[in-house]
Amino acid sequence: MMINFPPGLLMLLGGGLIPFLPNSIRQIWMIVILILSATSIFVDHGTHLLFETMNYSFIFWRSDALTMPFAIVFHIAAALNIFYGWHEEDWKQHTSSFTYAGAAIGALHAGDLLTLFLFWELTVVTSVFLILASNTPQAIKASFRYLLTQFTSGALLIAGTAYYISVTGDASFGKLSLDNPGAWFIFFAFGIKAAFPLLNGWLQDSYPEATVIGTVALSAFTTKLAIYALARSFAGTEYLIYIGVVMTAFPVFFAVIENDLRRVLSYSLNNQLGFMVVGIGVGTEIAVNGAVAHAFVHIIYKSLLFMSMGAVLYRVGTIKASELGGLYRYMPITAVCCIIGAMSISAFPLFSGFVAKSLIMVGVVEHGYIFIYLMLLFASAGVLEHSGIKIPYFAFFGHDKGIKTKEAPLGMLVAMIVAAFLCLLIGFVPSLLFSLLPYTVDYHVYTPSHVIGQLQLLIFAILAFIFLIRFNLYPPEIPSTVLNFDWIYRKLLLNIIKRLIIALNVVWSSLSSLTLSVVNIIISIIEKNSVTSGNAAVKVGKSTVLILFSLGFILICNYLLF
Amino acid sequence: MKNNELKIMGTRFTYLIIIICILLFIGEFVFHRHGETIIEDYLFFPAIFGFIAFIFIVFAGVLLRKIVMRKEDYYDD
Repeated sequence: MMINFPPGLLMLLGGGLIPFLPNSIRQIWMIVILILSATSIFVDHGTHLLFETMNYSFIFWRSDALTMPFAIVFHIAAALNIFYGWHEEDWKQHTSSFTYAGAAIGALHAGDLLTLFLFWELTVVTSVFLILASNTPQAIKASFRYLLTQFTSGALLIAGTAYYISVTGDASFGKLSLDNPGAWFIFFAFGIKAAFPLLNGWLQDSYPEATVIGTVALSAFTTKLAIYALARSFAGTEYLIYIGVVMTAFPVFFAVIENDLRRVLSYSLNNQLGFMVVGIGVGTEIAVNGAVAHAFVHIIYKSLLFMSMGAVLYRVGTIKASELGGLYRYMPITAVCCIIGAMSISAFPLFSGFVAKSLIMVGVVEHGYIFIYLMLLFASAGVLEHSGIKIPYFAFFGHDKGIKTKEAPLGMLVAMIVAAFLCLLIGFVPSLLFSLLPYTVDYHVYTPSHVIGQLQLLIFAILAFIFLIRFNLYPPEIPSTVLNFDWIYRKLLLNIIKRLIIALNVVWSSLSSLTLSVVNIIISIIEKNSVTSGNAAVKVGKSTVLILFSLGFILICNYLLF
Repeated sequence: MKNNELKIMGTRFTYLIIIICILLFIGEFVFHRHGETIIEDYLFFPAIFGFIAFIFIVFAGVLLRKIVMRKEDYYDD
């Protein structure tokens, strides 16, 4: 039935009805539409929907081995969002979250660059309301910066696409060669959304400002869409290995000192994207499989972590580590789910992260990048620090701050339990995940060497944490702002522009006063030397001198310029 | 009272981790672990790497604070 309807468009249109539905059936409506959209996953691979106009073919529905795992996990994430937001009565957030998921799924199935651009922009305009809905001055400002960066990405994408098509005549969204300058524009368009180093400021700036359910939705789609796009167009591009490895390493240090736990998770998200980017950069079958598998499991455990922190924010009203602690007694289910998410992201054996990360690591070693491998190992210890330990420790354990609260609402708990179950299911039965990947997997995750090696790394890192805590060497959480790369446009550029305007004002006022004094001198000279008739009718006025001066100025300019 | 409870939990957790560390110590000799790279095959390489990396990250973070930490209302001015 739905064969003629692009998967994402169905959710976009269905989402348009949400504002008109009563609260009681809103969630049911979303589930029905989502199930209808999910039927697209079972359709055979190939190009299903073409729309031809003006000698151009818009491909609205292309599905293959690469789109499928992303389509499945995007639908899972959308479903988790629906349950997680069950308590929320604000239709704006539901409309935004649902249509945003639809736009991302639409972009996933785009077969040509212009269709990709269309949905690429739609993900921005649908999602920005999730930040705006917080309705705080910080959120409103952050949402404008979010729009600015995301539309920059869109502008680069359309500019690159136009150039690429004009040179090659090929508009298909497939492998792109960086020999073409247009492809570089597209590369950076993807890079902004994938939060490459220096281009990542928007992520940590905007995501933590979104609403409780907004951050969960945001964490799933935009960045992973960029990962998909990179995997589709730039797999095997060596630059990505180095970009990715920097992405895995530098957010780790920022996450250590960040006080806002949802911002810590945003740094962590950046670090996880780094692993995927490295996998894509290596570009071999096992490495790309690893990147896709990592995106798949990451969406689930990162959603889980954001959901648990969202539940804390919803119940307690703050998510600052310096104000939290001891919540495990009041929110035990949320705490357990958070720990499962934390162990998954830290890649403990039997948890989903272990399965996916192993593929990337093996891909890197097989390609001979030993230094990169060691850097990723180092970053793994960093993941354990900020997501594995810091998040659950400061929220649910740490020092009791005397907060009395209650467990998260039922809908939130259902979403968290399902996500936690999926983390464990993939960890226990990796073949379930492997069967969805683009290439055949011939790799055994659970070998004694691999499990013991990973456990050594993680357990001794935890021992280091205990050591630091016991000897009071672990830095306390301090309410503060940690400067990130968004500082460049929020402060540095702003200050430069302010100073430029002041300087320009000074130059302008001195120039104009100089001009006026020249005019005055001319007037006085003319008055002095002019012949005054009997009735004084031919006396030269100031306006005449000004006109004369202006004409003279234009004459000189003309002479000098032409 | 509750902080006391947290302390007890902390102590139990510490013991648990130490026991696992001892088991991993024994496992290192029993299983003849092989890593993905030659350097990982050195005795206790992942354990030492994990321990040092963790401490390095935390102390590097403390140093980073000196450069990038500002007041909470830094951007609100």
